[in-house]
Amino acid sequence: MSAASVPKKGSGGSDLAKREARLAYYLMIPTFVILLLIAFYPLGTVFYNSLTNRVFASGQEVEFVGAENFANLLSMTIVEAPPEVDEAGNVVIDPETGETEYQSAVSVLPREPRRYRELSQFNLFGTQYVVGATDADFIRSIGDSLRFTVISVAIETVLGLAIAMVVNMNFKGRGMMRVFMLVPWVIPTAVSSRIWEWMFASTRVGFINVIFQRLGIGDGQIPFLASEAWQVPAMIMIDVWKTTPFMALLLLAGLQLIPKDLYEAADVDGASKIRQFWSVTLPLLRPTIAVALVFRTLDAVRVFDLFQIVLAQKRYSMASYAYYELINGQRMGYSSASSVIIFVIITVFAIGYIRLLGVDND
Amino acid sequence: MTKETKHIINRVLFYAVLALVSIYLLFPFYWAVNSSFKTENQLQMTPATFVPRDPTTDNVAFSLRNYEGVLQNADFGRGLINSTIVAISTTILSLVFGSFAAFALGKLRFRGKTPSLYLILSMTMFPQVAVLTGLYAVIRELQIPALPSMILSYMIFTLPFTTWVMTSFFKGLPDELMQSAQVDGATPFQTFYKILLPLTLPALVTTGLLAFINAWNEYLFALTFTTIEASARTVPVVMALFTGQIARQEPFGEIMAAAILITIPLLILVLIFQQKIVEGLTAGAVKG
Repeated sequence: MSAASVPKKGSGGSDLAKREARLAYYLMIPTFVILLLIAFYPLGTVFYNSLTNRVFASGQEVEFVGAENFANLLSMTIVEAPPEVDEAGNVVIDPETGETEYQSAVSVLPREPRRYRELSQFNLFGTQYVVGATDADFIRSIGDSLRFTVISVAIETVLGLAIAMVVNMNFKGRGMMRVFMLVPWVIPTAVSSRIWEWMFASTRVGFINVIFQRLGIGDGQIPFLASEAWQVPAMIMIDVWKTTPFMALLLLAGLQLIPKDLYEAADVDGASKIRQFWSVTLPLLRPTIAVALVFRTLDAVRVFDLFQIVLAQKRYSMASYAYYELINGQRMGYSSASSVIIFVIITVFAIGYIRLLGVDND
Repeated sequence: MTKETKHIINRVLFYAVLALVSIYLLFPFYWAVNSSFKTENQLQMTPATFVPRDPTTDNVAFSLRNYEGVLQNADFGRGLINSTIVAISTTILSLVFGSFAAFALGKLRFRGKTPSLYLILSMTMFPQVAVLTGLYAVIRELQIPALPSMILSYMIFTLPFTTWVMTSFFKGLPDELMQSAQVDGATPFQTFYKILLPLTLPALVTTGLLAFINAWNEYLFALTFTTIEASARTVPVVMALFTGQIARQEPFGEIMAAAILITIPLLILVLIFQQKIVEGLTAGAVKG
């Protein structure tokens, strides 16, 4: 809120307001100095490089390419794939399945000015369509990262709130529970990812396959980390386990700042526990939830080490794609452009939360 | 059903849920402990065993060789010291500067509050990979040694975090506290550190703990900044570069043993500070 809204109390009041504003600026100096020192130049170069064809670790001359990197990362198209026709002009039907055969994706996708690759196909009212992208891996990584973010953050928030409310109650063993609660968060990602990788092993060396087989799911040979269908759910399972404690601890701190007498008053009024949750706990916790959501989402959208350690190049998150483009492909300009896209996506999420939960107005 | 039996059933259900949650949270950790006591052969057994067992006789057989391997590694001890220095410094600096800024953003009146908040947040919205090369260039240009450069660079993610969380907590404190302190003749800064800061102690401890663990576990920056200065390596880097003392293939058992050894001090830390969280709470309740 601006100084203009400070109630005027004569010259003394505005003098006080001036002193207050000056103190505020002084107090923010260290934070801004540090962030300018360590973040300003690196972030500036990311934006600049995203518009160039800079090559990593090379003296090669850098050219300004405008939005070329972004066009190559994001261009998508949908084209119709006509049915395969034989010499006599008849539509070819697969003799085994009885389904119409269509021309291959490669032959229908445009090659000029950019070469499109197949992302997926779908059939609508009897017409076969091919979805193509100039960088199918990156487009897929956007989809996977977003799916990963939305599902894992949603589960973590609900689970984290539940755990926070439990350990905020008074019961024997609460201290112990608060320590247990943090165990997953305390183990370094580099290690916990390896533990899970081991547990997700594709034979019964791995714990999950042992359990699933006992429960009658699969034959004890599910290749969780190699199968397309299981990769992202496996990542979500690991992330939920790993970062729910972060949510829980943050929300716990928020819960503790809610004055106890509010609940006592609600008890006197005869409000049920469920009602108290909706009308006392949730509204008062809203600012904490918003901040927790912002930081958790930010980490989930740019998730890197989990994907890099467990899936390597089998499947990418946006950040691990940026990493491999930089380290293996040496394409610094291209990699920077993908980071800028991550930045934009995070911005959309952050502004969305802040608007939705109304935390920026005083 | 009498009130008494209903109460007992509720209790039992409550603890049953608690037990389930604990198993979920602790199971992978237990699995790491289990694996850390297994030899290479035992790790390859199918189905995997819940306690280390001898492959031929099926008797329970714990092996301490992984722990011996880790403790013989001199890099590991030095890594622990480096990690402690880096994580503690990062946490203290982020808490001090972060709560200064948060007090200003949460309680003081001035122009440009919202843009400041967004600007601080935007510094931390890039993947680490993206800022890595630029950051490395800055550090080389200013010739900062490895340890301080890790501390500084970790603040890219801990400082915006502490600032934002603390801002939301400062905003939650009643404005009357400020006003009554000012009536009593306290300067705004005195109000801040004598009255408001103690009230946010639970939040301070929580954000500090989260920032500490983040810094303790950071890997990519640490790996990059210590490529030349190997003596400054932190534990995650030492562990990643572990070739193993006894294992012929990947030293999975040893990595697990190392993980257990570095997790336990952190858990003790949590145990100590969680007591502080409770104390802070009661202190706040009396004054507020």
